[in-house]
Amino acid sequence: MEELFGLSMNWIMVGLLAILLPALTVIAFMGWRNRVMLKIGLRNIPRRRAQTALIIVGIMISTLIMAAAFGTGDTINFSIRAQAVDALGPIDEIVIFSRTSAEDSFGSSPYFPYSRYKELEAEFRDLPEIDGMAAGIGEQAPAVNIRNFRGEGRMRIAGVDPTSVSALGSIWSSTGEEVGLDGFEQGEAYINQKAAEELEAQIGDTLRIVVNGSTQILTVKGVVAKGGLAGDQPTIILPLERAQAMFDRPGQVNSIVISNLGDETTGADFSEQVTALLRAYFADKEVASKLGRLLSQPEALAAIEKFGVDQSGDAQENLLRLGSVLKSSQSSSTVLSNELLALLADEDVAEEVVAALDRAERVDDAREADTLFSGLEEFRVIDIKHQVLEIANEAASQVTTIFIVLGLFSILVGVLLIFLIFVMLAAARRSEMGMARAVGATQRHLVQMFVFEGTAYAVVSAAVGVGVGLGVSAIIVLVANQFIETFEEVLRFTHHFELRSAIVAYCLGMVITLGTVAFSAYRVSRMNIVVAIRGLPDVAAPQDASRLARRASALGRSVARPLLFGYAAFRFAAKGSVFSAVGNVGLMVIWVLIFPVWIVDVLTSVVRLVWPYFLQGWLALLLGLLITWAGTSSDLAAPFRIGVSLAIIGIGLMARNGLRRTSMQDESADRLAFTVTGLLLVAFWVLPFSSLRAVAGELDGGPEMFFISGVAMVAATVWTVMNNSDLMLKGLTAIFGRSGRLRPVVITAVAYPMSAKFRTGLTLAMFALVIFTLIVVSILTEAFGTSSENIDFATGNWDIESRVNSTTPIDNINTGIEKSELLSPSDFDAIGGFTTVPIEARQVGAKEGLWKFYAARAADDAFFDSTGHRIKLIADGYGPTETEVWQALKVNPRLAVVDISVVPTRGGFDDNLVDFELEGLHYEDDTMSPIEIEVRDPLTGAIFPITVIGVLDIQTDNFGNMGLGMITSKASLDDALPFPVPITTYRFRLSEGVDAARVARDLDITFRENGLESDELRQVVEDQRAASRAFNNLFTGYMGMGLMVGIAALGVISLRAVVERRQQIGVLRAIGYRRRMIQLSFLMESSFIALLGIAIGVGLGTILSYNIVNDIQDNIETIRFRIPWIQIGVIVAIAYVFSLLTTFLPARQASRIYPAEALRYE
Amino acid sequence: MAELIVHATGIRKTYDTGKLKVEALKGVDLDVRSGEMVAIMGPSGCGKTTLLNCLSGLDEIDSGQVLIDGVVLHDMADDERSDYRARRMGFVFQLYNLLPVLSAVENVELPLLVSGVNPGDAHRRSMEMLDLMGLTERARHLPAELSGGQRQRVTIARALVNQPSIIWADEPTGDLDSETAGEIIDLMCQLNQTNGQSFVLVTHSAEVGDRAHRIVRMRDGQIEDDGLASDNGAASPETGSALAAGE
Repeated sequence: MEELFGLSMNWIMVGLLAILLPALTVIAFMGWRNRVMLKIGLRNIPRRRAQTALIIVGIMISTLIMAAAFGTGDTINFSIRAQAVDALGPIDEIVIFSRTSAEDSFGSSPYFPYSRYKELEAEFRDLPEIDGMAAGIGEQAPAVNIRNFRGEGRMRIAGVDPTSVSALGSIWSSTGEEVGLDGFEQGEAYINQKAAEELEAQIGDTLRIVVNGSTQILTVKGVVAKGGLAGDQPTIILPLERAQAMFDRPGQVNSIVISNLGDETTGADFSEQVTALLRAYFADKEVASKLGRLLSQPEALAAIEKFGVDQSGDAQENLLRLGSVLKSSQSSSTVLSNELLALLADEDVAEEVVAALDRAERVDDAREADTLFSGLEEFRVIDIKHQVLEIANEAASQVTTIFIVLGLFSILVGVLLIFLIFVMLAAARRSEMGMARAVGATQRHLVQMFVFEGTAYAVVSAAVGVGVGLGVSAIIVLVANQFIETFEEVLRFTHHFELRSAIVAYCLGMVITLGTVAFSAYRVSRMNIVVAIRGLPDVAAPQDASRLARRASALGRSVARPLLFGYAAFRFAAKGSVFSAVGNVGLMVIWVLIFPVWIVDVLTSVVRLVWPYFLQGWLALLLGLLITWAGTSSDLAAPFRIGVSLAIIGIGLMARNGLRRTSMQDESADRLAFTVTGLLLVAFWVLPFSSLRAVAGELDGGPEMFFISGVAMVAATVWTVMNNSDLMLKGLTAIFGRSGRLRPVVITAVAYPMSAKFRTGLTLAMFALVIFTLIVVSILTEAFGTSSENIDFATGNWDIESRVNSTTPIDNINTGIEKSELLSPSDFDAIGGFTTVPIEARQVGAKEGLWKFYAARAADDAFFDSTGHRIKLIADGYGPTETEVWQALKVNPRLAVVDISVVPTRGGFDDNLVDFELEGLHYEDDTMSPIEIEVRDPLTGAIFPITVIGVLDIQTDNFGNMGLGMITSKASLDDALPFPVPITTYRFRLSEGVDAARVARDLDITFRENGLESDELRQVVEDQRAASRAFNNLFTGYMGMGLMVGIAALGVISLRAVVERRQQIGVLRAIGYRRRMIQLSFLMESSFIALLGIAIGVGLGTILSYNIVNDIQDNIETIRFRIPWIQIGVIVAIAYVFSLLTTFLPARQASRIYPAEALRYE
Repeated sequence: MAELIVHATGIRKTYDTGKLKVEALKGVDLDVRSGEMVAIMGPSGCGKTTLLNCLSGLDEIDSGQVLIDGVVLHDMADDERSDYRARRMGFVFQLYNLLPVLSAVENVELPLLVSGVNPGDAHRRSMEMLDLMGLTERARHLPAELSGGQRQRVTIARALVNQPSIIWADEPTGDLDSETAGEIIDLMCQLNQTNGQSFVLVTHSAEVGDRAHRIVRMRDGQIEDDGLASDNGAASPETGSALAAGE
């Protein structure tokens, strides 16, 4: 994986190492300088092994999530790359002829004379970047093995030039021997392994191939290994001359393949150079000169540069570069530089230039440029391997991002756990720390002590996390491979990870842990010495409320921190304290070089400065209102929600301060104000989305809202619960402890967690968050499952889909069925057909003026008469029902209905499968106006206008998994293209009671000569949905890892509790508590937190899922809210049982302590 | 003569820390009569607390026998012994050892609840006991909100609330100033005399020892002087019982 969140992984690694290594160096330096604190910090680690193990498990989760995500990303990258390299072999670029003629046919590349290739070969022979070229023929035709009647509708036929075999490596037999293309008898051919598998063919078998309506017979001479010249798809390999004869193209070829310098992988490194070189060579110099002159006009140049500035990434770079090259070529000479030629010949640049001219309303220039661009290149150069490798990187980066986003909850819970652990460790060592302070230790010493201990945990747990995370990614890959095995022709994943990813995961985990440790250490080291020594509650300590002047001066100091370090270093140096001087110089360097450290320092001071005003409430309210305003004005849900919540908190704080001024006791005032605030926050976050829409209008929110909602809902609920926990527990004691021996157990079980509200609340929040995530994911998976129950929405009421080879189309399918011995016209209720073609599209008058890839499904009249596809949005004047729309499309070839792939949604869950996107329309809208777009055939450059009059339902073709593209009339393509467009896809609706499986099979047999391949649509939909469910379960399992942290947290709490309460356990035993009562008390205490956390998580998760499902119902009518009771039951049971198990051991240990021994403990 | 409530013979106890074996009790014999207040005294590390823990069943013994009210304590199962402690014994410790998360009255209620007394009665009896200790006003306070003397009174209330026949007290005044310590020892003597309960006190304090019926002196894990031969000058258990009976 090369990139994450748009940043290079190399840079991420360097950045993280630049943070981590100095930080570790400083910690090591501090340890060396202050060995006493180092010793005190580290001594507890080996002393309490169980606790250390639990802490490491809890802390490692962040690293584990990262490592698992990176491992999965690396695997995907590696697997796609490996497949690309395997498929393409040494081939790096493919060159195809740009000029089409009437003799060319749909679905195959245009032909050109072999003699032209020989000229090119002579021209490029001496180029150092190219180490081989070959010309050949690539076509598709249906093939049948006569021995067993196994067929392959889309057999690739490769005509290979025998002279190129040596230039592009070779062709290898399946047993690994090199085979030549000499000595072929008439009618002999090689097949590759893939073709041998599909046809179950062996040497000597006879194959029947249908080419241009006539049958050709071939004998299998040998089976060769796939890849490179032998192709990755099922391929028949013939010497070039035989292929030329077979396709009636004597002396002609239709493709050139090029191998760059370097091996199969490193060749792609030269792609940019080779592509630029070839493009410059293939550019027609006369046309290029005209283009150069046209674009050098000051207005055109200004338009290009202005448009370039508005773009980003490659587009910006290309246009600005073009602008400067055009300027310099103007001034220098009339000769066109290779750089200018390569830029002009780049298809992306061409699109961008035309769009720039269009944007500047230079319509005539744009049209002229477009015409010149289309005639510029004799050949198109496709840097195929480079493109596939880019796709691999992109896919890996996306998958890693998804896994990291899904893991955010677990990471957050992990961070909370680290904080909790340090709060507990500090509580346990309070009096020890107080005494240390009393005998002269500074607060900084205590921070150091915790940082030493935390670093030791972090170093080990990050390493364990990387190992376990990579293991988890291996499991993900294993499970994913099992799911995708149900599909043919898909990628198999091979587990792989890069050392760089492991380093980044380790560093990220360490940085998160060390950051939290440093914060926690600072937080817990602030104490009142007397209160700490005497073991008094913290409330007895006076609140730290430094004066404004002090806080302001602290802010000033943080701003000038590096200078202060420098000054201190200078003073120490002057005094001769070398170590202190070096330490301060080191700190100065860290503050300046690792800029975020300085920012955090300043921000902390800012927060401290304003904190008292925040607590007064008015600042929180003001801040909240500002953020809310920012949210509504930018139509973003996240700032709106956060702003309103902050405003509620502000009002709550103001109310609390107001109540405190009345006769009400402070405690009651706090309880009342905080409870009402908490309840308001919960109510605000559980409000149905539609009610918010009514107030704030349409707001856009993406997957981040899931995370924000979860955290906010859980925090508000836990806050409310903890503020009223005493009431709740009194009720619980009254119910469960009415009489008998249970009552004292309940009393102690309840009293302890209530006496440490912060600790209990934090654990409760962690537990609730994890359960919340799992519940939402489970319910949504179930809900999407319910949406799939209506298969007709996905199939448009069709039962079978058949695809036919474009080179061997069926003349008239109805006649074919009538003549068939296996099929009867009465089997069919309706038969429709369409052809899917890649197109480029742009919206008239849209901000984004570039041509973007899309697809068109050009359908015949029968399809329009019978399709049952649902339309979500119908443009004004074309409704009211689907029937009117389909009939309009049938009559008017300039109309189209687009699918969801080009319509943005407000939910933010857009896919990026298709580049083209309509502007000014959202899928959630209730109405639409007709939208004008332009469509261009990428092959011929023919442009024709289309009016979009509808948007297909999102479920069409199973959410686009069975096909993408706008639906338009075939007549529109027939008009635009120079050759006839055959129907390549048929859809059949069967009569009542007809067996779809039988008909699909009989269709394949009947139209074998045409290479027809059929699928039962119901089966296809079910297979795809099963796989998607399986992946959802995989994600649920992945997110469930956070549960480990929650359980570890309970374990740590129980272990600490046993240690902290040892003496009290002795007292309880002395006054008559039996062993089981002690044990039960601990178990009840954990149960209380676990069950309450589970209840909050399940409750809030269910409510949020209900809201989400309700909202999605606007888009997907068939989705239903349904609770997967069994799955939720399993989640709850696992969470509860494991949390009890981790508590059971410490509880048992506690109960076995002899009373006298426990009492002796201090 | 009052009946024996504690009859211990040949008590031996060795602590094995792995590196070191410490013979804490080397065959101790001790009798305590019903209503008697016995002070165990001696230098630090002589085995006083160990003896108290062994006699009260808080710790195991290596050999010997302890009879409480004629029952062999160490033959009982752990649960039985716990129940026995809940019903028949009370404990007072130097560091009070109250549960910090429970209020004064809740701390006092615990032994009653453990013995199965219903919550209403338990609360009433606890309040009465706190009243007797002069702590009615402080009943709802957490231990951290009480002074040392108040905490020790709560501990005593907790030890006595179940009306045990014997109270074990380990340095009950060790953490208190002399004035408060005097009040606490007065209180214990008064309870001893009023209720006729036996007290076994471990103490360093000569003042506490002076108030006991008998002082048992220990050295190196053995009883040096069990006070039976000497007259301590304090009221005998018989006198105490007689006083309690109003004779």
